Amino acid sequence: MPLSARPPSDGLPPRPTRPARPQAGGLALLLAAAALLGAAPGTSTAQTDAQTAAGSAVAGIVKRSVGDVSLERAGQRLPVRPGTVVQVGDTLRTGADGAAGLTLADDSRLSAGPGTELVLSTFRFDATTQDGQLLVSLWRGTLNLVTGLIGKKAPEQVKVQTRTVVLGVRGTEFIVDSTGATP
Amino acid sequence: MSRRPNPRRTGQPGAPLALAAALALAGCAAPVSDRVILLPQPDGAPSAVEVGAGAQRLRLDRPYAVAELRGGTLAPASTDAAAVRQQYGLLLSQQPAAPRHFTLPFESNAQRLAPGAEPVLAELRAALAAMPAPEVVVTGHTDRVGSLEANDRLSLARAEAVRELLVAAGVGRTQISVVGRGEREPLVPTADEVAEPRNRRVEIKLR
Repeated sequence: MPLSARPPSDGLPPRPTRPARPQAGGLALLLAAAALLGAAPGTSTAQTDAQTAAGSAVAGIVKRSVGDVSLERAGQRLPVRPGTVVQVGDTLRTGADGAAGLTLADDSRLSAGPGTELVLSTFRFDATTQDGQLLVSLWRGTLNLVTGLIGKKAPEQVKVQTRTVVLGVRGTEFIVDSTGATP
Repeated sequence: MSRRPNPRRTGQPGAPLALAAALALAGCAAPVSDRVILLPQPDGAPSAVEVGAGAQRLRLDRPYAVAELRGGTLAPASTDAAAVRQQYGLLLSQQPAAPRHFTLPFESNAQRLAPGAEPVLAELRAALAAMPAPEVVVTGHTDRVGSLEANDRLSLARAEAVRELLVAAGVGRTQISVVGRGEREPLVPTADEVAEPRNRRVEIKLR
């Protein structure tokens, strides 16, 4: 159906090349808000656009971290702190005193306890349709997973595996403990 | 460290007893290679996990139900909140907070915030400041007038417009991502091609 059939009360222009700017009244309010914060608006849209594009490299963001925690990506060891980006295929490792928590793009929340090695083996998420797939491999240690939008729409698309066990998820929150696993 | 029971020797006298004793000691350094614990949902909604080991299957469907794999054999067990807190305290302490949802009132077309928006914006900024590595997800929605594709574009444009409002209000641009859900998630279910103002909206999620 052509856009012109849309009631006039609904509908921005179909595809503005630049996002609409606030008009006078709203702008005053917003300027006051910005002044209050003393914050400067960001300067580049490129990063956010890249993150939201299909096939994005950003699967998740580390939110919490204590003790010895690192990421391994393509053979390189990367330090981990809140804000660190996690990509598909990354291995998260924690030391005996380490633990970390991250949020995935579908709102899944995942934490790793001490002495853990886990891999984000599969993660795909289409934010528009909320279709996707998640596979976490827990090679040792402990994992607490709270499933997000993928699990809500299609629980069968969320799986956790250890060296010996495979979990099909029908609910939202659980712990997997593979501390006693021998390689 | 106790010896891992071998399932091929369970015919030995004493093995079932040893297994029972090990089960009773579950939670200590028991010879368990893997353990899965189903946690309760905050709203008490039903939940379940299907645990598989080789051809064995075990379904956990009540809070604190446990599946344990010892010596290759999958067996049910159970635990409780206090034991989980004690054993997995550090793990649970690092779990990120649940996403928070905000609804900003807009004037028509999401081009401008309504006068009542400022208190919500203030709350949103306070929440952002208190969160580690916060992300803002702005999701646009449409009603069901028009094609799926046109509504996908429209909802994304709506979300992009709101992103500009948030940036102007002091939210860092790189923290914000935009999503167009089109007509897939109506607040008020309608037949196709029905104009419904309540379904034209933008939701803001902090995580």
